[in-house]
Amino acid sequence: MIIKLERLKIQSRRSEEAINITALVEEAIAQSGVQNGLVHVMTTHTSSGLVVTEGIPCLEQDILTHLARLFPESEDYHHRRYLDYDGRLGFNADAHLKSVVGGISCSFPIENGKMARGSRQTIYFMEYDGPLERTCLIQILGE
Amino acid sequence: MIDFHTHPVLIRELVAQDPSFERAAREVFYIGNNFQPFETFLLQMDVAGIERAVLLPVACRRARQVDVGTNEQIAELCAKSPRLIGFASVDPGVKTAPSDLERAVRTLHLEGLKLDPALQDFDSGGPEAWAVYEAAEALEIPVLIHTGLSWAPGSALERGHPLRLESAIRRYARLNFVLAHFAWPWVWEAVALAMKYPNVFLDTSCLYYDSPKEFFEFVFTRQIPITLVERTLANQIVFGSNYPRVEIKNMVRALRALPLTEGCLNKILRVNAERLLARGH
Repeated sequence: MIIKLERLKIQSRRSEEAINITALVEEAIAQSGVQNGLVHVMTTHTSSGLVVTEGIPCLEQDILTHLARLFPESEDYHHRRYLDYDGRLGFNADAHLKSVVGGISCSFPIENGKMARGSRQTIYFMEYDGPLERTCLIQILGE
Repeated sequence: MIDFHTHPVLIRELVAQDPSFERAAREVFYIGNNFQPFETFLLQMDVAGIERAVLLPVACRRARQVDVGTNEQIAELCAKSPRLIGFASVDPGVKTAPSDLERAVRTLHLEGLKLDPALQDFDSGGPEAWAVYEAAEALEIPVLIHTGLSWAPGSALERGHPLRLESAIRRYARLNFVLAHFAWPWVWEAVALAMKYPNVFLDTSCLYYDSPKEFFEFVFTRQIPITLVERTLANQIVFGSNYPRVEIKNMVRALRALPLTEGCLNKILRVNAERLLARGH
């Protein structure tokens, strides 16, 4: 049984952005040597997310647009206050709520050294409050 | 557009170079966010539409055992990008402060002075600071001084009262004082100083509760009338974000949401800062 954990650094460059990380996850699987098992991917940040959808720009745009419609920046949020544990103001509740609704992780089976996924399924790191350097965890289990 | 108030406290390269910098950021400046590569700083400027930013250290080793960025570190960061405008900081409680400032300006090419009476624990209006103001005046650089509430643990609120500065403002009439954070909550006192003394400027980096939009709307339309900004203070306000306490993009959006004319916004976002940074102004 092999268990490997990789920390993937992602530099987002915009305030909101969908970044295709499918190839990076495939590469981590290839480097792990695991032929059959499971890969789990998770963002470590609560104002970002991870989604799986068809890998086309119109859908990237739709996800961001409609999450923004659900959680407008102008809405009234309790989070808008000084966070005394952090030395900062919290006013990005919209980003946190997008993360909650959109999800923060995904899992795929590994078969013959590759992700077993649908031909359209693409893994996106979702930036909701960038630009920032972010970290995703990729855990690979198998043999 | 120019951001007149940013801090380098989350730049990871500084932690890698100087391990004490992490303590300065976490315990003295007091911020809990993840350290970020220098590139993130420039990207944060990009998404906000900011072309240049003033980068501020605080020389608080005497009071806090560690500086929140040194003049040398600021100069090194500025050497990496022409978009950054480095200010120096010296400790008025140290006898070499005037010569330290002269060296920072003439040798390191820093373009202004940052003081924080709350973090540095000195009386901004007292004689101990006069030699530093005198040096800044002779060097023809602006001084950006913390006024208003400071989040830094252990700092005294009274150190940030803007009226403490009045004697220095009168004594050094050729030195431009930029009062940070609009001196919140002492906004009217800061406004009165700016109305009375042409060498007083105010920066917009005030955010103490609610969102930037809500706070700006409160300060600039209810705490003081927006007409005061548009008609009387338009030439004496500079945009400052206080990044990374708050992201620059949010502060720009908050300022732009105010009912100000484009002409006034242009002065706050660019013209006044350029005037302050022009030596000999």
